[in-house]
Amino acid sequence: MDETTAFEAVRSSTLEVLPELDPAAVTLDGSLSDLGANSIDRTEITTLAMERLDITVPVTEFHAVRNIASLVELLRKYG
Amino acid sequence: MTAHDPHDTPAAVPAGEGVPVPRFGIEALNVHCGVARIPVPALFAGRGLDLARLANVMMNNKSVALPCEDPVTHAVNAARPLIDRMTPAGREAIELLVTSTESGIDYSKSVASYVHEYLGLSRHCRVLEVKQACYGATAALQLAAAHIASGLSPGAKALVIGTDVSLVDEGAQYTEPAMGTGAAALVIGDDPRVLALDPGAFGTYSYETFDSARPGPTFDVADADRSLFAYLDCLSGSFGAYAERVEGADFATTFDHLAMHTPFAGLVRAAHRKMLRESSGVRSPEAVEEDFDRRVAPALAYPREVGNLCSGSLYLALAGLLETARPRPGDRVGLFSYGSGCASEFYSGVVDARAQREVAALGIGRSLAARSELTFEEYTELLGETRSCLVPERERRIDVDRYVPLLDSFTKERELLLHTGIDGFHRTYTWHSADRPAGR
Repeated sequence: MDETTAFEAVRSSTLEVLPELDPAAVTLDGSLSDLGANSIDRTEITTLAMERLDITVPVTEFHAVRNIASLVELLRKYG
Repeated sequence: MTAHDPHDTPAAVPAGEGVPVPRFGIEALNVHCGVARIPVPALFAGRGLDLARLANVMMNNKSVALPCEDPVTHAVNAARPLIDRMTPAGREAIELLVTSTESGIDYSKSVASYVHEYLGLSRHCRVLEVKQACYGATAALQLAAAHIASGLSPGAKALVIGTDVSLVDEGAQYTEPAMGTGAAALVIGDDPRVLALDPGAFGTYSYETFDSARPGPTFDVADADRSLFAYLDCLSGSFGAYAERVEGADFATTFDHLAMHTPFAGLVRAAHRKMLRESSGVRSPEAVEEDFDRRVAPALAYPREVGNLCSGSLYLALAGLLETARPRPGDRVGLFSYGSGCASEFYSGVVDARAQREVAALGIGRSLAARSELTFEEYTELLGETRSCLVPERERRIDVDRYVPLLDSFTKERELLLHTGIDGFHRTYTWHSADRPAGR
């Protein structure tokens, strides 16, 4: 899976969970926390992104995710 | 038979021609969540936490233990009203006592051994303790129910008690307001006056993960994100396993009510939203909200007043549902239990016609309202002593008299068991009531 596909899944999931967000604010070098996503929001964004991409990532893999870039990287790994 | 008719039993256990399906489940239920509370907004303000995050935590009050309370007193004080309502023959029929706790007091001696003594249970009662984080009480309930359904000891009852104390302080940040203290006690038997379990209707889902743990007697470690993931993952996994066993089971339509383990109410809301989307294709925010308000919110009423009760949490949720929403007889409840580490189960049961009366007689809501309100200063003053509650010491004296004013609203009506100290590593307790004060 290419980076654009994975990032687009994260971006659209983020906007679904945080509808007030400026779509341009979601970038590869940002983090979900900085965008105002709390722990539940982050979990939901990740879950939605996995659903959109039709992939399953083991729970234990997420502990290394610190920002949007590493989340996208992880989703690509399982895509 | 379909699982859509709440008055039918899901066809998980095919009944043989003319063979009656066994009835078993929860006969009685009580919770005791201490005698003191702190309003969560006051705790947020005192700690300088971001008030914007209150909406996510969704909590009003947090139960706070006093130094004269511990896992033993919580368990006994939760179960005593159930025992008091039994006949001598009924008490004698309690052949199994299981305590479930992540607040152990000894590597060998269980909380159950003390509970057995102070409840005056039969010497012919099996006594043991289980540990599986917040899932322990549900595991014990299921094993006890299966033992009763087996018919090996006709008329036997089991007493299952989930009991825990909180060890969090400011180091836990946003988890501190969410952690409660207290116990839930359940009588399991073949006359399920509260909730008849659907025979064979369950799904389990467990695997090893290090999302939260209590490595020692004074502190917890937790990875919030990993814990949320595991919880949501386990709900999908355990409901999937339930649906494999129960023909036609649907998250959106099979259950009139849902009661879930509640680390904090906001997580339950997210879990419900995820399940509707994932398993029933319901995505519209309005439809999700309507369903949440109708089927989920009533079970959050008491957890929002207490905090996370660990393995008692699901049963605190169930008690709140039964007492505040007054489900109709025959309504089906879906129950989800999750414990860090992790282990989980989704199962279901049907509300009995007598449930309303059974639960109302215990006045759980009244007891929650009777808790003394602590200021932030009083709360922080207690923390040092309460956080060492599980530390093994050869000798300890607890000045119970200091806390008597905080007990008044309870002990005018009933006796409470209080923890008075430790004598040669043996924990000591006394009964206290307004007309028979402790130690007099």
